[in-house]
Amino acid sequence: MPPESPRVVAYGYAASIIDGLGAGVAAALRDSVVHACAAEQLVVTDVVVGARSVVVTHDSTAAPAIREILQHLSTHFATHSIPTNGPMIEIAVRYDGDDLHDVAEHCGLSVNDVVALHSAAAYVVEFCGFSPGFAYLAGLPTSLHLPRRATPRPRVPRGAVAIAATYSAVYPRESPGGWHLIGTTTHELWDIARTPPAALAPGTSVRFVQMP
Amino acid sequence: MTMIVERVGLTTVQDFGRSGWAHIGVPHSGAADRTSFLLANRLAGNAPNAAMFETSGGIALRMLADTAVVITGADCDATIDDRPLSRCKATRVRAGQLVHIYRVHTGVRSYVAFAGGIGAPHQLGSLSHDTLSDIAPLRLTVGTTITLGVTHHASSSLDISVNPRSSARLGLIRGPHYDLFDIKFLEQLVHQPWRVSSESSRIGIRLRGAPLPHGEWHELPSFPLVRGAVQITPGGELVVMLADHPTTGGYPVIGVLATADVDDVAQRPAEHTVAWSWIAR
Repeated sequence: MPPESPRVVAYGYAASIIDGLGAGVAAALRDSVVHACAAEQLVVTDVVVGARSVVVTHDSTAAPAIREILQHLSTHFATHSIPTNGPMIEIAVRYDGDDLHDVAEHCGLSVNDVVALHSAAAYVVEFCGFSPGFAYLAGLPTSLHLPRRATPRPRVPRGAVAIAATYSAVYPRESPGGWHLIGTTTHELWDIARTPPAALAPGTSVRFVQMP
Repeated sequence: MTMIVERVGLTTVQDFGRSGWAHIGVPHSGAADRTSFLLANRLAGNAPNAAMFETSGGIALRMLADTAVVITGADCDATIDDRPLSRCKATRVRAGQLVHIYRVHTGVRSYVAFAGGIGAPHQLGSLSHDTLSDIAPLRLTVGTTITLGVTHHASSSLDISVNPRSSARLGLIRGPHYDLFDIKFLEQLVHQPWRVSSESSRIGIRLRGAPLPHGEWHELPSFPLVRGAVQITPGGELVVMLADHPTTGGYPVIGVLATADVDDVAQRPAEHTVAWSWIAR
């Protein structure tokens, strides 16, 4: 199991990881890491957020300086609460997903309850992964927590609004997927020609608004 | 345009990859064997990051202008018209000639660079074809036209052609989840041979070995992956993250390959055996 308190360790010669972070800390810590590395004129390749971790990829010669920054920030973040300072995005959803009725049944709720709970909650992007622009949204009400589907779908359409485990997400484009589909949106989550290409980045606040 | 693709097997355009987008789920991508990639650009007189072909299935290119070609990486059968084309040297090639790379052997990927490097509009700062996300700024099919950029310095050649390095043992640095496993398990991991699976790709090299003592590990909260990270799956397979690896994952990372050893493993064909040893971090 991950340790209870944050620790900074090598992740090979060319990366460093801080893990054991509290829920919701990683995205805010990323901003601080990016700024601290820039202030120290350290060249980093990527600063990537996980559910409870942040990884910096860097030149092997920069490892000691970067680990010192991570160590310093981990003690700072352990004693300060983290404000969510990302942008706020509203995503309009038509609750017409193929799994909506199954979700309601498994959760012992009505379809209207599922829609009301999902659209009333406040979400924050905890981390991204799976495919470009795919954001794991923390904040799903506990009464909607369900394991993934036993059999993933080979094709989930672009714009599908889904839930699984403790997260909600929107599929940025057509892909395979094992999450429960509860709705659809026309919100453009990923456009490689746009700057930035992803609508949702770690730390972004999200609300789902029900469309008639 | 400087050349036209006349035939294409499993071949992608690669440069050094996409930096700075992993936090929104975009894999780094880029050349799988960076040593061979950098050598090809150096010999071709290109900037270190210039784009080239990474081929496992061969490619035939009809020249429309005079240029120079360099092949590095896996040994392969290659010709200019009917003359054999040797590796690790800059060879002049004239308009009208056909550069043909056939079978790739003694490795998995050959690198084919042209003086000036492949030029095309970038996507997210790179020309690399990311096979996981299907980001492909320049997709290769029969009839694709290729334009070259300008050279950076003079082209050159090695005295001998070099094969990709193939070490008896690859160096494994303890990964972030090393401590989740007991010492007996970790010893057996390095004391048994691992065989490269045919399901390996630019995304990851999958390795199969004798069954390990039963582990009690489970999926972890998703965390970022890095090139060379060695994941252990619930089925007891090892997966070495390669160029197009996903940005995050949930299986424990038991170790991370030493940087140069990632290039080594990227050139191991299916059924090849891999052995490890733990090295200090």
